[in-house]
Amino acid sequence: MNHLESFLNWSTISFEIVLCGFVFARRVQRVLPLFAVYTCVLLACGIGVSLTYAYYGFSSLTAYYAYWSSILLSAAVRSLAIAELCRFGLRAYRGIWALVWRILTVLSVLLLAHAASDAWGQPNGVAIYGTTLDRDLAFASIIVLAVLLLIRNYYGLALEPFQRAIAAGICFICAVDVIGNTIKRELYTGYLFPWFLTSQKSLWPALRPQIMRVNDFWSTVHLFSFMFSMGIWCYAFRKPLPAPSESPVLLPAGVYREMSPAINLRLATFNDRLVELLKP
Amino acid sequence: MNDMSIVILVAIVLCGVVPWLLIPRRKSSTADVSSYHPNLMETLPTARHYAYFRQIRQALSAADSNYLMENASPQVAKQALQKRRAVARSFLKGLHEDFSNLTRLGRIIAALSPEVSRKQETERLMLAVKFQILYTLVLLRLSTGNLPLEQLEYLTGLVGRLATRLDAAMTEVNALSAGQIPGRIGV
Repeated sequence: MNHLESFLNWSTISFEIVLCGFVFARRVQRVLPLFAVYTCVLLACGIGVSLTYAYYGFSSLTAYYAYWSSILLSAAVRSLAIAELCRFGLRAYRGIWALVWRILTVLSVLLLAHAASDAWGQPNGVAIYGTTLDRDLAFASIIVLAVLLLIRNYYGLALEPFQRAIAAGICFICAVDVIGNTIKRELYTGYLFPWFLTSQKSLWPALRPQIMRVNDFWSTVHLFSFMFSMGIWCYAFRKPLPAPSESPVLLPAGVYREMSPAINLRLATFNDRLVELLKP
Repeated sequence: MNDMSIVILVAIVLCGVVPWLLIPRRKSSTADVSSYHPNLMETLPTARHYAYFRQIRQALSAADSNYLMENASPQVAKQALQKRRAVARSFLKGLHEDFSNLTRLGRIIAALSPEVSRKQETERLMLAVKFQILYTLVLLRLSTGNLPLEQLEYLTGLVGRLATRLDAAMTEVNALSAGQIPGRIGV
């Protein structure tokens, strides 16, 4: 581990401590418990991996597995935090929530299945497998967030400012992960592939500097972007969270049953008339 | 373009879309369900542009066109026709706004309903998409002068009836809600 990496590593842990401090000072765990768990997992993973580096050495196999375990664990908990973000505030609108949770569940299952199958098909090597899975999970996270925001915008259900900051931070780190992991995966499965094959051991000394350069570069980019995301979250929690809004007063069920088909019928008639206008 | 480029491109696009979706929109005509208040149904402009329907219909009528052709010089008639088309275009845009407000009412009702039909919601979404496409085509034809102005009468008449019916329906909703949830919704 070079000086820059060491500096970034400790800076990230410092940021994680500050973020956890903000989260518990603002009692975010009462509103978004899974996001609070996510920040704790990030801190625990950061400290755990650093301790592993210190005890077993940066290039040890234990450190290697610890790093990949922490990456995949934080990606899994991040997915739960996104699921919580989807549910928060939308559950009060019972009709819409009943519609939305099914859409998001189907979408998530499809994306997770794609991530699993994509990672499963990779050649041997925890790095390739982990990179693929991490990339696909990050990609799935952005898509689920985008769909959630589309639905919320469509129905005019705005997010609270702190929820927007959480979504923006997650989206940014996921986008960086997708781009970085895609490039890294391409290199791992391309000209660096002999590094993962025991039959190509003779090439390892020549490949080692290149592997180190790729990992160093990616690690630097990832940690910088991660700190940027944490900065967004810390900024959002600088003020106390707003008091939870009252549940909306819903209309009687009969109103929708009566009016929605009528509205759609009229809209369809309107479109028919537009089609008539366009006829030569 | 290989797989890597596609994935990176999609990630960049999505990364641009999400912040755009996160920006809060506050337009005068936008009704946000989360800022719903008892008089929302009354304050939402359902047919603001339709209020000028009579004047526009008169201006676009065939009788007016014929009168111009018969009594004005060809240059003046041509200029007048161009101006009428410009007015028609603006009016069509206004009707689009009216249409959007009416569909937004449908979405508000859905958001505030304890039960929502997937079929109804999908249908309304598809109708809105179809309308958007057709509206663009009509606007294009109007701009190129291929659409007789008189045909707009049908369109405006339809929006007007829709707006009137919805306004009446919303009054019923308010009355119904006021009966069920005293003091929260309705007058």
